[in-house]
Amino acid sequence: MATTTQEPEDSDGPLARWTQGAIQNPERVYRALFYAAMVFFLVTTLFPFYWLAVLAVTPEGNLLAGSFLPTVNLFGVSGTFPLPVPKGFNPAAFVTVFEQVPFHLYMLNSFALAVTTTVIVLFVASLAGYVFGRLRFPGRALLMLGILAISYFPPAAFVIPLFQAFAGNEAITIPFTSIPLFTPPRLLNTPGSMVLPFSALFMPLSIFILTTFYGQIPDGLEDAARVEGTTRLGALFRVIMPLSAPGVATASVLTFIAVYNEYFFSSIMATSPEAAKWSPIVGGILSYQTQYTTQFNLMAAASIVGVLPVVILVIVAQERIVSGLTSGALKE
Amino acid sequence: MRWMENLSDTQYAYLLLIPVFVLLGVVALYPLLRTFELSLYAVSTDLTSTSFVGIDNYVGLFTGEKNRYLPGGTTFLPSSFEFTSLLNSALVITIIFAVVSVLFETLIGLGQALILDQDFYGRRWVRAAIIIPWAVPIVIQGMIFFLMFNSNVGFATPPLADLGLLAPTNTLNDTASATFIIIVADIWKTSAFMALLILAGLQSIDRGLYDVAKVAGATKWQQFKLITFPLILPTIGVAVLFRSVQAMRVYGIIDTVSSCAVVPSLSCMVVATFNTREGTSAAIAFVTAAIIGLVVMGIIVWQGEDAI
Repeated sequence: MATTTQEPEDSDGPLARWTQGAIQNPERVYRALFYAAMVFFLVTTLFPFYWLAVLAVTPEGNLLAGSFLPTVNLFGVSGTFPLPVPKGFNPAAFVTVFEQVPFHLYMLNSFALAVTTTVIVLFVASLAGYVFGRLRFPGRALLMLGILAISYFPPAAFVIPLFQAFAGNEAITIPFTSIPLFTPPRLLNTPGSMVLPFSALFMPLSIFILTTFYGQIPDGLEDAARVEGTTRLGALFRVIMPLSAPGVATASVLTFIAVYNEYFFSSIMATSPEAAKWSPIVGGILSYQTQYTTQFNLMAAASIVGVLPVVILVIVAQERIVSGLTSGALKE
Repeated sequence: MRWMENLSDTQYAYLLLIPVFVLLGVVALYPLLRTFELSLYAVSTDLTSTSFVGIDNYVGLFTGEKNRYLPGGTTFLPSSFEFTSLLNSALVITIIFAVVSVLFETLIGLGQALILDQDFYGRRWVRAAIIIPWAVPIVIQGMIFFLMFNSNVGFATPPLADLGLLAPTNTLNDTASATFIIIVADIWKTSAFMALLILAGLQSIDRGLYDVAKVAGATKWQQFKLITFPLILPTIGVAVLFRSVQAMRVYGIIDTVSSCAVVPSLSCMVVATFNTREGTSAAIAFVTAAIIGLVVMGIIVWQGEDAI
């Protein structure tokens, strides 16, 4: 029996040799599985962007002609190529996308809304983060629980009264009574109708992130500032906030991305998808889907342009995103 | 500003929390109470006045009397236990969406987290690539999957229709197919979020445990089964509940890829009815909030003080 298995390495192919090695050393199998899984995840997450690029550069006239999966003839065997390829090349869609609809204005609206919300959230959440992270007082746990609970409720549970209030037609009354409080101004189609719900919706995450970071600053540093004559509020904004710069950056990045991504209030509070009425990119992208229903290359180009800011932000600020999501999100 | 210096800690704390109370009071607490109030009123048949009807709107929802106000052939509760009527029920389809998408997001997220937990060359770039879908705006996520399965340019429909997973024609207007696509879209976008939460759990495991396991001769699979998995199970549990709550809100992706009449999620039904049937809409919104509230209570009871 032993004589038949002499010198297998020389006569076998590379696969057999790899298998031999793998049996002797299982570590190689794990390594191979690891790289296979990594490639699989990379392909599945990035493929949709490749598809957008394929559509965006395909000239409009070729969009509907034939399949994006070409038939290939390889050594006499014909089959369908498993990856979509562009049918022609014309990058003009990336210019047209700004001409047909003022897409840059929608993006500017999104930026303005996101920056305003981030500033409001950072200010309010800083005060709350200071209170929860550094002060001991009765009701602390209950209040944090309350903020936590509110942040879980679906936007749909808030939207009906908010829409009515922002329409500004009738006075706001105290719930379950008919006592009128005041008549709000008409906020629909203005930044206010979006910034207000965004701030409330995304503030709890920032509060929890900043609570963690502000709680870690040693008491001595705050006391030293107070001895130097800084006010209590001054100590928060001139000592604790700058020392927690990574936490502040994390909260800003996450709030900015959250607003830029928001759909529910963005689509409802801007009642018509017009850039002049403060409609953000939701309105811009949807106006391609509803008005220019066959210009699929423009829809794809608009999507690529719209996604670029967040892709850049993720690449630049990924450390902050990871730390913020892992430290704050589980608690939120 | 001198008076501020003389406040006790408690007084100072509540003073600084005033902006939070105002903001959450105006944008969350008031609307929540008002939604409940609206759900107790009904619009008269000539749409000019409203009258107090108590819990009639809720009763109407659960008996099916309100189904005629919902778009398409949607019902609130399923009318029977057949597959198509289950999918036409707003309540059931929302739960199906949440359960299926969160299940796959957890499995895929666990896989991604195990990869990102390793040390290898280019880890930073792989991690960025895996996070990017999470940061994609919902409207663009919807556009991507709309373009992939659109009947004119979508290349993905024929192969999947051959496998029997999707309807070959009119795919995005077929409830089962559209639900499938929306679930896939959600898995694509949100797995990374689960991965990051699970990764945090993985990285808090004491590495010494693995050294002990190696000395004891445990294989990689045994290490995973006996050390890694039991230790990250609590993290996974919280992450799953947290994601389920978010998944129950699904609206934007449905609105972009398909339409609320085809895939009638609970949030969809609120938006579709709130201009015409305020009471019904408010009742659906409040039922959604109540279901989510129950899940949240579960998290808080389970986690206790740690939840904060």
